[in-house]
Amino acid sequence: MTVKSATAKIWWYVRELTGETAYERYVAHVRKDHPDAPVPSRRAFERERTDRQEADPRQGFRCC
Amino acid sequence: MPETVPDTSRPARRITPKSIVIWSLVALVGATGWGVLALSRGEEISAAWLLAAALGSYAIAYRFYAKFIANRVLKVDKKRATPAERLDNGVDFHPTDRRVLFGHHFAAVAGAGPLVGPVLAAQMGYLPGTIWIVAGVIFAGAVQDMVVLFFSTRRNGRSLGQMARDEIGPFGGAAALVAVFAIMIILLAVLALVIVNALKGSPWGVFSIAMTIPIALFMGVYLRVLRPGRVTEVSVIGVALLLLAIVSGRWVAESSLADTFTLEPGTLVIWMVIYGFLASVLPVWMLLAPRDYLSTFMKVGTIVLLALGVVIAMPTMKMDAVTAFATSGQGPVFAGSMFPFVFITIACGALSGFHALVSSGTTPKMIQKETQVRLVGYGSMLTESFVAIMAVICACILEPGLYFAVNSPAGALGPTLESASEFVKGIGFSITPDQLAQMAKDVGEPSIAGKTGGAPTFALGMSEIFSAVIGGAGMKAFWYHFAIMFEALFILTTVDAGTRVGRFMLQDTLGNVWKPLRDVSWKPGVWLTSAVVVGGWGYFLWVGVHDPLGGINQLFPLFGIANQLLAAVALAVGTTLLIKSGRLKWAWVTGIPLAWDVAVTLTASWQKVFSDDPKVGFFAQRDLYQDALDAGKTELGTAKTREAMETIVTNSTVDGVLAAIFAILIVIVLADATRVCIKAIRNPGSAEIKEAEYVESKIVAPAGLWATAEEKAELAAAAAESAPEGGTPVAAGKS
Repeated sequence: MTVKSATAKIWWYVRELTGETAYERYVAHVRKDHPDAPVPSRRAFERERTDRQEADPRQGFRCC
Repeated sequence: MPETVPDTSRPARRITPKSIVIWSLVALVGATGWGVLALSRGEEISAAWLLAAALGSYAIAYRFYAKFIANRVLKVDKKRATPAERLDNGVDFHPTDRRVLFGHHFAAVAGAGPLVGPVLAAQMGYLPGTIWIVAGVIFAGAVQDMVVLFFSTRRNGRSLGQMARDEIGPFGGAAALVAVFAIMIILLAVLALVIVNALKGSPWGVFSIAMTIPIALFMGVYLRVLRPGRVTEVSVIGVALLLLAIVSGRWVAESSLADTFTLEPGTLVIWMVIYGFLASVLPVWMLLAPRDYLSTFMKVGTIVLLALGVVIAMPTMKMDAVTAFATSGQGPVFAGSMFPFVFITIACGALSGFHALVSSGTTPKMIQKETQVRLVGYGSMLTESFVAIMAVICACILEPGLYFAVNSPAGALGPTLESASEFVKGIGFSITPDQLAQMAKDVGEPSIAGKTGGAPTFALGMSEIFSAVIGGAGMKAFWYHFAIMFEALFILTTVDAGTRVGRFMLQDTLGNVWKPLRDVSWKPGVWLTSAVVVGGWGYFLWVGVHDPLGGINQLFPLFGIANQLLAAVALAVGTTLLIKSGRLKWAWVTGIPLAWDVAVTLTASWQKVFSDDPKVGFFAQRDLYQDALDAGKTELGTAKTREAMETIVTNSTVDGVLAAIFAILIVIVLADATRVCIKAIRNPGSAEIKEAEYVESKIVAPAGLWATAEEKAELAAAAAESAPEGGTPVAAGKS
């Protein structure tokens, strides 16, 4: 495994783990399953995401 | 409907000579570790043996026992689509790479718990704690997490409370709900108490922890306004600022500002309560979300560093394998003998009921394949258990005299270093006042005696290990405050998130009585219910800080009992489901840990309620002080005034009543579950299980961390078939 591909893999993992890829994933999902639906901007999507957590705080709850 | 899916996930596998050799070696490493732990008496051994015993056992358990449970008991089906695949909405339901989900799940279950319990239990020596952490996780904790995750996955990610209601009945369900709420309150109080104890009289600590608030606010604004969603870059900036806050804490502590940041425990409680309330009513994006990113980064980073540090430094264990307190039950850190109190004190890391909430919350909605419950459920819990083992190491590499000087209640230690030294001598260990003063100076604290709660002890051990690897003695103070920061960060995140969850549950329940309360966007309702939750844990926190007997040794057993009670609910749900789905012969897999857990929890509650020993039994304690008050005495033991004695009477009564309520709740859940199980055994046809319908999965993905040869072939075939489309199946195989 080269250094470059190892770095790419670590970068992929970090972005997935932090949830940074949530928007890309959502866009891919909308394009694939609902081609006619409008795609929200990243700003709007991220706002929506934290607002959801606000409405139901059990999402993403941490243990002791 | 009993599950009729054929056993497809158990391919006939030949056992190769290579794998026999490898697994024999792993078994040998583990056995050697245990052998050294068992046979060494009176001599100091290296922490390496602890690691060998734990890691060897984990590997064997994961390879054989977890696999057996997944394939034979749960009968995970790789052809059955998970809710993530069926209900994929790109937001909360989406198939997630198993390695990513492992990280998510681990970060969600592991917090301060596995760092605190093992440190407190170290008063009985390193052996009882280590044995329970390793055996407990293999046969109980990891099994619970995996089984709950599996059953919740089969039910579209239904929560533990919902499953208890659906599968056991409304009684069991209601008891589970009350249990979760009560535990939340006690948990938040205990965690907040850990932080207050670590920060009292520590200007360095108070300043650097206080700085996390502006740092989090900055990150929140950055993510909301400047660059939405760029979590990695803002986390890196945040961690850099955090390190700066730790370093600048020393400057503050050595400057004229030191007095401003030197706070009494009572003041810290007030600040904690104000913080807890504000943090839980502020929008999530401002404080909670960025703090959560920060604490996850610190958590994963520090745990990896600590593992490396232990392996490189290979410290020696100074604590005895088993101390006299294991049998006498008269230890200063918490009262009571080894059974049941070691098993109560160490919950997280061995068996933690709280995990069942995560295993039946976010994770089942994201799992890609049923076959991955072994890696995500069992594997994450093994990793948390490993964290607990490192906490044991941190506590036990310290001089035992130092350990007891730090962990004994301030009331017992007396006002000066000389009195503390005398007390430690009185219980059979030794440390001089000069050594205590030097230790405090090394880590940049005014004093370290009586800093109960586990966090300072863990930080001392960690600074010992890290400074041996990087920076030498000069860096001890930095590493100590780094460790305090690391624990404080996720405790504060839990205080915030836990208050929100408690509020949500309260709103949901009270909403049945008065509708407007259920509306989560109705501000007065939010403020009111938040205040109730904060008031609940704030009360116990206040009491814990002012308890003349020492808050941690009074409250921690209650927290342990509460957590194990939740584990009993989870294991009872698991056992009931196994029986209802016609798997009576495998019911022992969750049934035996359930029986053990119930024995431990009920014995502990019984002793806490009925013991004649005033150190153990809450009501005996109450009577002792009440009688003294009635006799007109003005002081007794560590209570030096009549008010202090009255405080003890009140606290003991509240704690005793709580212990009794927890025991009654367990009995209700068990009785209800037993009724359902007997009915299902007598009349197998009558059992109704509420699984989601079977849909065939289109995703191809490996079960374990690495794809097997067979899985690689499947992945290649799937990739060839869906090449033009791309998407999940191909990404899933990225390895």
